[in-house]
Amino acid sequence: MRTILAAAGILVIAALPLVAPWLQFVLTLAVAKGFAALGVAVLLRAGLISIGHAMFFAASAYGVTFLARLGVNDFAVLLAVSVLAAAAVGAIVGSFLVRYRAIFFAMLNLAVSMVFYALCAKLYGVTGGTDGMPVPIPTIFGISLGEAAFKQVLFYVSLMLIVIVGAAVHRYLDSPLGHALSAVHTNEIRLEYLGIPVWAVLLIAYVISAALAGLGGAIAGFAIGRVVPDFAFWTASGHLVLVAVLGGIGGVPGAFIGAFFLELLHSAAVTVTDAWNLVVGAALIIVIMFLPRGFYGFFEREKASAL
Amino acid sequence: MLNAIIPLLLDSLASAALIFFAAVGLTLVFSVLRVLNVAHGSLYSIGGYVAASACLFIASRQMNPYLSFVALLFSAVFVAAIFGPVVERSLVRWTYGKSEAVQILITFGLFLMLEDLQRMIFGVQSYYEDTPMRLLGTTNLSGVVYLNYQIVLIVMAVAVVVGLRFLIRHTRTGRLMTAVVADREMAQAVGIDTNRIFMLAFSLGVFLAALGGALATPTSGIAPGLGADTMVLAFAVAAIGGLGQIEGAAVASLIVGLARVLAIYVAPELDAVAPYAAMLVVLLIRPYGLFGSTSVRRV
Amino acid sequence: MKRIGLSAVALTIGLAAAWPAAAQEKPDALGLGIFTFTSGPAAAYGMPGKNAADLMIEQINAKGGIGGVPVSATYVDEAQGAQGVIAEYRRLAADAKNQVMVAALSSANCLALAPIAEQLEIPTVGWNCDTHQLLTDGKSKYVFRPNGNTVPEFIAYAIYLLDRKPDVKTVAIINPDYAFGHDAATIFKAALKALKPDVEVVAELYPKLGSPNYQTEISRLTTAHPDVVFSNLWGGDLENFVRQASPRGLFRSSQVILALGETVLQRVDLPEGVIVGVLGDGWWMSPDAKANPETAAFVAAYKARFGEYPVFPSIKMANTLIYVKAAYQAAMQKNGGKWPTRAEIAEAMKASKVATLTGTTETRADNDGLVDQIVGVTVKSPDHPFPVIGQMVRYKGDKLMPQAGQDPIGWISTLTPEFAKSLPKPGSYK
Repeated sequence: MRTILAAAGILVIAALPLVAPWLQFVLTLAVAKGFAALGVAVLLRAGLISIGHAMFFAASAYGVTFLARLGVNDFAVLLAVSVLAAAAVGAIVGSFLVRYRAIFFAMLNLAVSMVFYALCAKLYGVTGGTDGMPVPIPTIFGISLGEAAFKQVLFYVSLMLIVIVGAAVHRYLDSPLGHALSAVHTNEIRLEYLGIPVWAVLLIAYVISAALAGLGGAIAGFAIGRVVPDFAFWTASGHLVLVAVLGGIGGVPGAFIGAFFLELLHSAAVTVTDAWNLVVGAALIIVIMFLPRGFYGFFEREKASAL
Repeated sequence: MLNAIIPLLLDSLASAALIFFAAVGLTLVFSVLRVLNVAHGSLYSIGGYVAASACLFIASRQMNPYLSFVALLFSAVFVAAIFGPVVERSLVRWTYGKSEAVQILITFGLFLMLEDLQRMIFGVQSYYEDTPMRLLGTTNLSGVVYLNYQIVLIVMAVAVVVGLRFLIRHTRTGRLMTAVVADREMAQAVGIDTNRIFMLAFSLGVFLAALGGALATPTSGIAPGLGADTMVLAFAVAAIGGLGQIEGAAVASLIVGLARVLAIYVAPELDAVAPYAAMLVVLLIRPYGLFGSTSVRRV
Repeated sequence: MKRIGLSAVALTIGLAAAWPAAAQEKPDALGLGIFTFTSGPAAAYGMPGKNAADLMIEQINAKGGIGGVPVSATYVDEAQGAQGVIAEYRRLAADAKNQVMVAALSSANCLALAPIAEQLEIPTVGWNCDTHQLLTDGKSKYVFRPNGNTVPEFIAYAIYLLDRKPDVKTVAIINPDYAFGHDAATIFKAALKALKPDVEVVAELYPKLGSPNYQTEISRLTTAHPDVVFSNLWGGDLENFVRQASPRGLFRSSQVILALGETVLQRVDLPEGVIVGVLGDGWWMSPDAKANPETAAFVAAYKARFGEYPVFPSIKMANTLIYVKAAYQAAMQKNGGKWPTRAEIAEAMKASKVATLTGTTETRADNDGLVDQIVGVTVKSPDHPFPVIGQMVRYKGDKLMPQAGQDPIGWISTLTPEFAKSLPKPGSYK
């Protein structure tokens, strides 16, 4: 039943740009943010809140532009390598940070991401400073497309990736490794008594979440055509957590429900009101207080881990 | 040599004073409530907006300009009276005993709302009101002209550290706060009205946040985005000093101030990196901050 | 799932190809997307631009619009950052009614929007973004900039400075930390190096755009004891900087150049003798502007409506709208009075020469504009409570511009002191 719902949802989204072509950009961005929010949600399952994941989002987008500067021009290679780069950064940062819990985990992620942000913004000669750098249009399996055609391919490829990556993450969350995450949240000591290396469980989760944020960042970079340090600012990290929580961290679809919902609502609201943050902020508070499983809670059957 | 060092030290102190005022309220609230208030930066900028508006009003009515000093202080009281009790009762109280993720998200939601509320109330243009700074004049120290207002801020920052220490150690309310910090359940059990203490402590935190914004206005512009920038700076200072440590925040402000000023003098391209790099280095060596204790870790 | 996705790709590409290029019927309104800063510190600079656009569009519509079609503008706030600006641009572009984009104020946003303008084939007129990086490849079909670029703007200050203060030895720079600030510093330094090689740069500071507090930077500048402090800070940043630097004596200890100083003359108390200019010829009190009755009427209407005289961003915006209007008129003349397509409008902008409120703007083959540069110093005025620009010079636009396609910095290094001597002197424009 839920698989059918998900498939129907993706079909509707795939068809939307046929009606309103400008929505394609908005929806591609939503997919990008959805991936990043999914990464944040993976860690939230373990009760770890990161206000720094926008760093991986940005790192991967910067990675694409640096690779392109070196002459790499193939879409698949750029996407794969930049996601791997984000995962590698995640492995390094994560190996330090997964020792910490609660507020310290949140703050350390913030610290690392703000150092990254400040470096991107200040090293004008390397990163283009606050102007950022252009993300070129890559070739797809050797075929060079015009910008419009590439953006369409990008959109449908990212929709396909939702299915493929989504299924993989679903399997991961359903595996013993994934279940161990919730166990970290509820009772970490018991997990250690059982001989499960909590450190390794969390590091794997951290790397996966960094890679997901990186995938989102690469897609966003291609879609926007430019990467700027603001990608990594702490409020961007906060928004990723917000997307994850609004959608619901109970399962893979939550992050994407949150992202599509927010981006579409934003597009609609922008013509009506300037007070977008007011609406989102209030929605966040209401969802946390009264709907702890997020919007995805409406579709869920069994009780999943809430915050 | 001395001629080069004196401006460097004075600038560091002046910069540290501003940074301390941005961070002290955040630290105080965490020390009593164990809540990291992500909306702290917004309360800071609201304090700035209110103070600038009040001073502009005084100037436009051609009242005694010295009233603007009163206005700076009164704006902070005003913001604390409006936001302190209401926010604590409606939102923050709900998060006591819940996970940090919930606390951060609730206050992040509040941050988003306050950012837009400021736009609606104060508009989107920059505010600038420097009457207090002009009234105090300038002093020439080893070839560099400083504003006397900068020096007053340094003195005030020291006064706030001493004052808070006195409040916490030597007044009844302060002792009750200490008791609540030490053991919340026990404090409740012996009949302390913890709700009242929490509301007082949160309002005091809001007052300090707004005071920071108000004291900053005479030497800096207030514009949208200030709240977000202040927030992350306050995070850095609070984390370096150890969450909840007032003296720690003071020392951390000095470190961050010195780091920033050194960067501007020696390697200007690193000035924005300095506070966060300092934070990262300190946290990697002492994750609980310079003055923090491990007891805060909850495993 | 995958197959459905792929066939959807094919379907969409097919539909996109069949999409109508543009309408030839006269529409009920001519839509303009106008991009400027309407919030944040940069709004101090962006709002005068928006005000001028409001007024100019009102005046155009009062005279029957353009070709009988009333103009209606949609404003986009650039303070939302590149991502939001791009999204808004695409949204506006999707509506066939919007035929021209007046975008943008910030160089960063112009650089981000330029490739999209080419892709979507929408005439896009940079009304204020001056970075010389914008049109360097010379291949631009749809991006125009009628108001000149950073190269002549900042060479002009170097030449003026050396005329006014020939014995300058040390220079300090404080510019905003993005393309505009860095480009200006590069050009200004290169010009000084070519014209007076012994000038030493003793400090270079790039505070973040939107910084509220410059106290440490001011101390740093003071301790460096430079003969000259050069800055192209702008908007609220410039106001903050002047208000903080003035009581601390920076204007007394050094000759200060505020490249965008004209924008704050009416708002902050700028001392006499500061070198200021308008990055172009858009000074509403220049001899040419005073001689033009249309300009006088615009200035009077602006003052009556907004309580302030126009600043040069207002004039730049007004001139840009005059430029757009001229392109429509030229395009309709060429195609026999039919409503022009986006492509025809772009064609009409190419190689055009348009009379503006304050001079002329000539569009070169690379779509960059040639405008004159006015520089001067602040002087007290008997007519106004604020200082005005005196000791003015008006450099011809083409004199200070490299040829299309030439590397600008390489070109600057070929300048000689003799070349500078051949130009008009401070005080010659009156």
